[in-house]
Amino acid sequence: MAQIEAYLDAVPARWWLALGILLLGVLLGYVVNVVNNRLLRRAGVPEAIEGTAFERMARDLGTSTVAILARLSMYFVVVLAILVALTIAEIRYTEVFWSQVVEFIPQVFIALLILIIGVVVGEKVELLVAERLRGVKLPEVGFIPALAKYSVFYVFVLIALSQVGVAILALVVLLGVYALGIVVLSAIAFGDMLSSGAAGVYLLLTQPYGIGDEVKMGQRRGVVQEIDVFVTHVESDGDEYIIPNNKVFQDGIVRIRR
Amino acid sequence: MATLTELLDDLVADVDGVILFSPSGSYYERFEDADEDPVVVAPENAVEAETFVELPLEFENVRDRIRFGIEGAMEHDLFEEGDVVACAVSVFGGDTDSVVRVRVSESMRSGIYDLFANSRADPNVIRDVFEVAIELGKKGQKGKPVGALFVVGDAGKVMNKSRPLSYNPFEKSHVHVGDPIVNVMLKEFSRLDGAFVVSDSGKIVSAYRYLEPSAEGVDIPKGLGARHMAGGAITRDTNATAIVLSESDGLVRAFKGGKLILEIDPEDY
Repeated sequence: MAQIEAYLDAVPARWWLALGILLLGVLLGYVVNVVNNRLLRRAGVPEAIEGTAFERMARDLGTSTVAILARLSMYFVVVLAILVALTIAEIRYTEVFWSQVVEFIPQVFIALLILIIGVVVGEKVELLVAERLRGVKLPEVGFIPALAKYSVFYVFVLIALSQVGVAILALVVLLGVYALGIVVLSAIAFGDMLSSGAAGVYLLLTQPYGIGDEVKMGQRRGVVQEIDVFVTHVESDGDEYIIPNNKVFQDGIVRIRR
Repeated sequence: MATLTELLDDLVADVDGVILFSPSGSYYERFEDADEDPVVVAPENAVEAETFVELPLEFENVRDRIRFGIEGAMEHDLFEEGDVVACAVSVFGGDTDSVVRVRVSESMRSGIYDLFANSRADPNVIRDVFEVAIELGKKGQKGKPVGALFVVGDAGKVMNKSRPLSYNPFEKSHVHVGDPIVNVMLKEFSRLDGAFVVSDSGKIVSAYRYLEPSAEGVDIPKGLGARHMAGGAITRDTNATAIVLSESDGLVRAFKGGKLILEIDPEDY
């Protein structure tokens, strides 16, 4: 009995404190796990990410995305508790090493979190875009959802990498080129639509001519049947001219009053 | 029981085709092994049938529903004159509860399908206007029955064949039938005299229009009033469709090409 007491006395008080903190950390980690799980479920995350490949993969492994996220937060707290405990126990020879790890570990956790969010968001974007394009019965549009997905992946991977301090300048430049390419291409492709749209907004707001007015544009003469943001429908004797609104602006339109 | 089964056998003997009205998924699957695909007539193609006719309005009147389905199928060249068709249809709501044997003939073409599918205006615009008219007929304006006249499609020509009775409340506004706010607006404006003009894409062009078509040769049942006469006549002069809510008997009638095509009672919906 006295021997055990002697052993216990030999252990410094700090170690006891460290042990206590460790236990507290594990407990806290568990609580965080449960609370996060509830919060994420309450926030409707499982419904929002239903059908994504990541969620399916998690299901196959007998878990779920929400459980993984909650587990991750638990590990974070536990690891933090271990580090605090080690510091308090004053195990000196490891100090230099640990001080770097302490700085690094939160970054790794955040990077992991960002990666998971990125995968889920990317897949969700793919699903949403695919849903939107379902009405378009054209097999070639199949690559657009994939493109959207990988763009989101790329951005999230960049954020995660920068979080852990990897040099990503080249990748950022690549992203910039890619974004610029999209902007330039769409500016060329949608230029006419944009100018038609701008003209259409003016035409709709001020209504210089309305449905039922007889108008002439170049050689075409007829009755206005419909004005929308992009085009004006003019009909005469069964011929319906569909005139882009920017054409109306460039060439002008004659309104015939009688 | 044997005689009952024979009775049903007689009904479906030697039919050239089957039309299912709003079948459930499992009901449709039972036809999977059939030699010929059944024609599905439903508000939307939930069972992903190959031969499908969209039903824009759940006609309460089964005759109208079957007419619509058969006309639609004829339009798609699924059936031709002389074919005998079995229609599985629900009369009392819910699941399919009856089978009707119909001989397809040209005289069945009343134009109901044509009214929705081949009008100038979008089918869903016509449907939306129908819904507004039905709603208006059910509730009236502040409890009193109201009448209303909607001229849908070919708005440019209609505007040229009519004149304003007063200042147009829809001037410079861009509301479309089917927008939620519009039902309330139309209900309020229904106390105004005159017609509503709706464009092909559903934009409400004007209210308060006095229609000036020539009424010669318009064939509408005797006893209907000036509103119906004006509505019927404008559809003969233009390619528009007129949907009229009668103030006196509360029925909604649709005119196209100067003829009465469809007559429904708002209370059934």
